[in-house]
Amino acid sequence: MLSRVAESLFWMSRYFERAENTARFLDVNFNLLLDLNKITPIENPNYWIALILVTSDKVRFNNQYNEYTARSVTDYLVFNKDNPNSIISCIGLARENARSIIESISSEMWEQVNNLYHYLQNITPQYVHNDPYSFYKEIKNASHLFQGITDNTFSHNEGWDFIQIAKYLERSDNIARLIDVKYHMLLSEAQSQPEIVEGSEDIIQWMAVLKSCSALEAFRKVYLSKIDPDNILRFLILDRTFPRSINFSVCAAEDALWRISGSSRHRYVNNADRLIGKMEAELSYTAIEDIYAKGLHVYLEDLEQRLVKVGEQVHLTYFAYHTPEIESSDIAEALPFTGIAGGRPNWSQAQQHQQQQ
Amino acid sequence: MSRFFERYEADAVRFFDEVISKEGIPRPHYNKLLHRFGQFSIDDIKARREIVNIFFRNQGITFTVYGEDEGVERIFPFDLIPRVVPAHEWQTIEKGLVQRIKALNEFLYDIYHTQKILKDKIIPPELILGSQHFRREFVGVNPPLGIYIHITGSDIIRDGAGNYLVLEDNLRTPSGVSYMLQNRQAMKRAFPVLFDKYKIRPIENYPQELLRTLQEISPDSRREPNVVVLTPGIYNSAYFEHSFLARQMGVELTEGKDLVVNDNKVYTRTTRGLERVDVIYRRVDDAFLDPLVFRPDSKLGVAGLVNAYRKGNVTLANAIGTGVADDKVIYSFVPAIIKYYLGEDPILQNVPTWLASNPSDLKYILENLGSLVVKAANESGGYGMLVGPESTIEQQETFAEMIVANPRNYIAQPTISLSRHPSFFNDTDLWGCHIDLRPYVLYGKTVTIVPGGLTRVALKRGSLVVNSSQGGGSKDTWVVDE
Repeated sequence: MLSRVAESLFWMSRYFERAENTARFLDVNFNLLLDLNKITPIENPNYWIALILVTSDKVRFNNQYNEYTARSVTDYLVFNKDNPNSIISCIGLARENARSIIESISSEMWEQVNNLYHYLQNITPQYVHNDPYSFYKEIKNASHLFQGITDNTFSHNEGWDFIQIAKYLERSDNIARLIDVKYHMLLSEAQSQPEIVEGSEDIIQWMAVLKSCSALEAFRKVYLSKIDPDNILRFLILDRTFPRSINFSVCAAEDALWRISGSSRHRYVNNADRLIGKMEAELSYTAIEDIYAKGLHVYLEDLEQRLVKVGEQVHLTYFAYHTPEIESSDIAEALPFTGIAGGRPNWSQAQQHQQQQ
Repeated sequence: MSRFFERYEADAVRFFDEVISKEGIPRPHYNKLLHRFGQFSIDDIKARREIVNIFFRNQGITFTVYGEDEGVERIFPFDLIPRVVPAHEWQTIEKGLVQRIKALNEFLYDIYHTQKILKDKIIPPELILGSQHFRREFVGVNPPLGIYIHITGSDIIRDGAGNYLVLEDNLRTPSGVSYMLQNRQAMKRAFPVLFDKYKIRPIENYPQELLRTLQEISPDSRREPNVVVLTPGIYNSAYFEHSFLARQMGVELTEGKDLVVNDNKVYTRTTRGLERVDVIYRRVDDAFLDPLVFRPDSKLGVAGLVNAYRKGNVTLANAIGTGVADDKVIYSFVPAIIKYYLGEDPILQNVPTWLASNPSDLKYILENLGSLVVKAANESGGYGMLVGPESTIEQQETFAEMIVANPRNYIAQPTISLSRHPSFFNDTDLWGCHIDLRPYVLYGKTVTIVPGGLTRVALKRGSLVVNSSQGGGSKDTWVVDE
């Protein structure tokens, strides 16, 4: 297929997944604060800072807002058009990519992207404030519907595989960020208020992490009621069967990449295959103790960087308009990303658009 | 008659009304339609309007208006009342168009080869050789089958007596065919019952016919031709159409950056390497096609494309340089062109045209600016146009200066009151709105015209301009067998 089409399928899928994850983060935070009885009148800014840290654009946020409140953070993550990762920006970019390949995707897929786009144009901050639950559910359902439509109306060939790669790379990255930030926050709270380390508030927060990955019920089936950080990390990072765990997502991205190139377990064809294969192998043979030995934060950060590298190699192998020599390192200069916003890969199209009548 | 039509004032004396005759009674081919609409309440119409709006919005059927900052995209206005063309009238149009397109193609072949028509002094050579669309570098190039104009969309209007006249031959990259196809889909969704009552000739095969035409002009008949559509990109006003046609034909939609020329052959860049291209249905103007030959600043084209074309390794549809024949000045010579090449009288007439380059015509134009329509020879889309009766004295003076400064670039025509067709202004009242018709003509081994075309309607009250860029809309067009 055309490289440009493959690239647009990739970013369409990636931005849709990103929007869904942001909706999940926000949704769970509201629920968490309700559980902890902290939503008003005195909102605890720590809980809202966390969301900005997950999406890691603290600087951009601080340029525009003075305080971390439900309203400011919601506005920034849902509506702010200057934030390339806000839900409205993500869906706008997903739609723009879809629009540029409208002849390649099924018309049902286009209708779904377009519907969500128009739905968002009519949503006010007040609406989200009054009924956050319904709003985030709408976003999550729209994303699930899109994936279902894609699975059932779009041929499962190369293009579909690019959609899967994008979705699972984005998802692994989001889970890693979420764990990292929550862990960080809980740790710092534990240090400042040592008396609640073992308290129920802690458990509620970890449950929130699970919930934002729709993982609470699945987790319980595996670990019964034993909610402790070790098991939660084991589940979200290493579980091979739960679709919102990192290991599962990396495996799924690997499958899709290998289907495209024809790589197999003992033989890789390009660097994208090599890097994803290495990640998958390591995840499969890692125990939670290994992660602790390395330090959770260091481990997750390393994971995020390796996901970025896989994305770069996918770009060079399939989208870049020249055939790259296979080289293992030092590719940063060749990257097309005009800026990695908040450390997250973003789509950029060549800036020139000549108008012609 | 329907309550909508009871309140409809046709003004059939001043204008040719498509539905109501001069005697004030409905034309027979509209009877069933009027009867059906008579059974609708205002709420019925509103409900159907909603179905249509959702259909268009979901399909992303939008266009872009230049020179406006507000939202980039707008839904193309669609009128719910279809236009009905009886089969015998269609037959005349069809024959006339086939004749016209064949003659124009012979003209182009001649202009880019021996230029016999210029030597025989049928057309003054300076009009051709001085035209900005004449591509001297293509003299002697032989396109496959000798065809230059594979896809055209002539604009046809009706005068006060109901005669069909050709207003423009669009021989470069005419747009709108996707609206023709989508309008039919929308009508089927909103008024399924109407389709039982009429024998409406189908148009849904247009994409297949288009693909067949494009495959027929492949330079290499030994293998399955690889056809692509070339678009300027998603910011072009007709982008929806480009992608729609590519999807309907099942071919790749490419932008300039998807194509690469190597050793005078054209390839697409794919995830698996380069793939050879045989035919390009290009929706990019000549000037943007190849930065090495035309505009060096063009980012829409492909470096080396023109040489690949000259070498005969790829076919462009339409060919380069066809604009020389749809220049509004050359337009006035089309009846002579038909006579010259085919030895036939034109079946479809032209609108009378005065050329500013002709001194006696120039005098007439300048004296009658208030009643004429003046057009720049090389503009399209309703830009660069003066509609005399609707213009101010200042506008007329500006145009007079422009005409005198560059007479070759202007023509004038009488203000023809285009025929009118009842159309919904809102969902409660019908108004007589001016319409035209753009049938789409395909020319491969044979000439194919799907029955009907795009009926454009000037939805601004009293306006004569039907272009989508100037607030026009469209309606479904039915060729019906009686």
